[in-house]
Amino acid sequence: MKELKILYLYPDILELYGDFGNIQVLKYRLEKRGINCIIEEYTIGDLEPNFCEYDLIFAGGGADQEQSILAKDLIHYKDNIRKAIDNNVFFLLICGAYQLFGKYYKDVDGNIIPGLEVFDYYTEAINDRKKRCIGNIVIDVTLNDLNTKVIGFENHGGQTFNISSPFGNVLYGNGNKFGDTQEGFFKDNVIGTYLHGPLLSKNPELADYIIKYCLDRKYNENIILENLDDKFENLCREQLFNQFLSRHN
Amino acid sequence: MKNFFIILIIKILNIGLKIFRKNGGNFLGKLAFDWNPNIFKYFKINCPIIAVTATNGKTMTNNAIGYVFKKAGCKVISNVEGNNMETGILSTLMKNCSLTGKIKADYLVFEVDESYVPVVFKDLKLDTLVVLNFFRDQLDRNGEVESLILRINEFLKTYNGNLVLNSDDPNVSRLAKANPANENIYYYSVEKYAFATTKIKEAGEGKFCPFCNTKLEYEYYQYSHIGKFECPNCGYGKNKIYKLATNVDLKNKSFDIDNFTYTTKFNSIYNIYNFTAIIACVSLYNIDRNIIKYALSEFQLNNGRLEELKIKGNTTIINLAKNPTGANVSIRILNEDDDEKELLFVLNDNLADGHDVSWIWDINFDELKNVTRIITSGTRAYDIAIRIKTAGFDSSKIFPYLSLNEAVNDLYSTNSKKYVIANYTALQPTRKELLSK
Repeated sequence: MKELKILYLYPDILELYGDFGNIQVLKYRLEKRGINCIIEEYTIGDLEPNFCEYDLIFAGGGADQEQSILAKDLIHYKDNIRKAIDNNVFFLLICGAYQLFGKYYKDVDGNIIPGLEVFDYYTEAINDRKKRCIGNIVIDVTLNDLNTKVIGFENHGGQTFNISSPFGNVLYGNGNKFGDTQEGFFKDNVIGTYLHGPLLSKNPELADYIIKYCLDRKYNENIILENLDDKFENLCREQLFNQFLSRHN
Repeated sequence: MKNFFIILIIKILNIGLKIFRKNGGNFLGKLAFDWNPNIFKYFKINCPIIAVTATNGKTMTNNAIGYVFKKAGCKVISNVEGNNMETGILSTLMKNCSLTGKIKADYLVFEVDESYVPVVFKDLKLDTLVVLNFFRDQLDRNGEVESLILRINEFLKTYNGNLVLNSDDPNVSRLAKANPANENIYYYSVEKYAFATTKIKEAGEGKFCPFCNTKLEYEYYQYSHIGKFECPNCGYGKNKIYKLATNVDLKNKSFDIDNFTYTTKFNSIYNIYNFTAIIACVSLYNIDRNIIKYALSEFQLNNGRLEELKIKGNTTIINLAKNPTGANVSIRILNEDDDEKELLFVLNDNLADGHDVSWIWDINFDELKNVTRIITSGTRAYDIAIRIKTAGFDSSKIFPYLSLNEAVNDLYSTNSKKYVIANYTALQPTRKELLSK
């Protein structure tokens, strides 16, 4: 039986916006196809994980105060994480985790929280706590041979700059900054994005893209995934695209 | 003089609204507040003012405290309709005062929105503040819980009145330290109940010690992050309990406090906490415990908060759930009920609900017990259907409808017990649709 091994980082801290749902969606879509899904967790105080042992690393968004606590912990694993990225392990990073993989995060009070510096982008909070990019968001995504619309919800004060290759182009909503045309960061085996929702819950094509990537890499093949019943997902997308895109265009 | 006329005009408007059978709600208060933001100072109040604040359970607790006082023969003025922002409280005061601002009552009891406590009680002298809990709630509207707690904490730094605090919520009991000079701190707690767990089962907030940032250790969780905790570093969490509920019996809806048994019409651990807060609060005013017992045994809410109805011969239990903890409490009640049942979940994403519905992924749908079918509705009927499907519930037994009417019709196409969960703006339309059957 095939299996994928997922490492879920800081499940007790980066869990504010239901991002754990992404792992549930992956598990659901794997198990429906008879593929085993192993989820292992790492949080502050646990033994150092070997990031290269996993097929997918996931981390979500958390509360500001708690995020700065874990940033100090994560930085210990900088080299280990870089090695996993070079080994093509897939990374799905949402919101706070997305920010932490950049150069730094400058908070509202001007304090600099150093990032992992794995990528060149950096994030700065607007110096007004009340100003945040909040709302539904739809982006147009092209990942190698996949072109699809991705829908989610953004809620971030941080403005992310210096993105070399975005995750998608904004059709509705803000993106990396207020009124931006670009959202997130994408590079071969890494997706960084502000999209909650959770991201994969209404974007089954994206979920399957990630699953296929991980299986192809692990088993060195070009798998064709069996179709699943995505009736609810498709109805939901149709409803929301009608609501957000027709009004907008 | 100006205030005199404001009140006069508001009273005339109120009579006008009554003729047209309309409820002034927040409207009259807003009018007066815009006219004079210092109008709270104008009222002459010679009785204790009691306020209840929390993320969940404000209305129920507020109304029950008022009900106990009434049963004790006292005159109570209260915002029982749930208008809990400064404008709503102002409306309640103006409807009940003389033209010179005099208020005749034995007690004023108010539920107050978490973010409005400092605004309302800037100029009104608060005698007792009851704080029940803090949970994540509509993050896109309210922001993170922490900023909300800090605002109340700031207000409490100069407050010397009674503070009734949930000892088992680390985000609430920390408020005792806001003003170290205040000696009127009254903690309440509930003894470990049958469904308590050693691992957290639902989304929660109390992870780190608010004083030293150390990870809190829990002996057990009652629900969400409510439970017996302690900071291994600084010892935060050890409190002297004023009222402790013991022998919690959800089947018989009873519990003991000070070796005295109380029975209620509510059957969840979450409500036992609220009742313990109510008893702690009214005990500060020396209400006879036999009167408390009698009042609580018949206290009910008929507004969709754990309301039980018979519809087309089927027992139907309706509950409001506007955030993960509210929904998880409803799911707990459903799972603690051995009967076979169907569930209707109505989810809206209107402004008052928060446009973000990702919180439904914090609802624990993992082990639904004896649920035969699930109907979903509301503006986000499909989102909640996806959520429930992903939790492992057979998708062929999930039926989403954007139309509430079709959803309710389908719900009553079978005969069985029904549980209905609806979020904020969904609750009243759902209730109306159910009652029309």
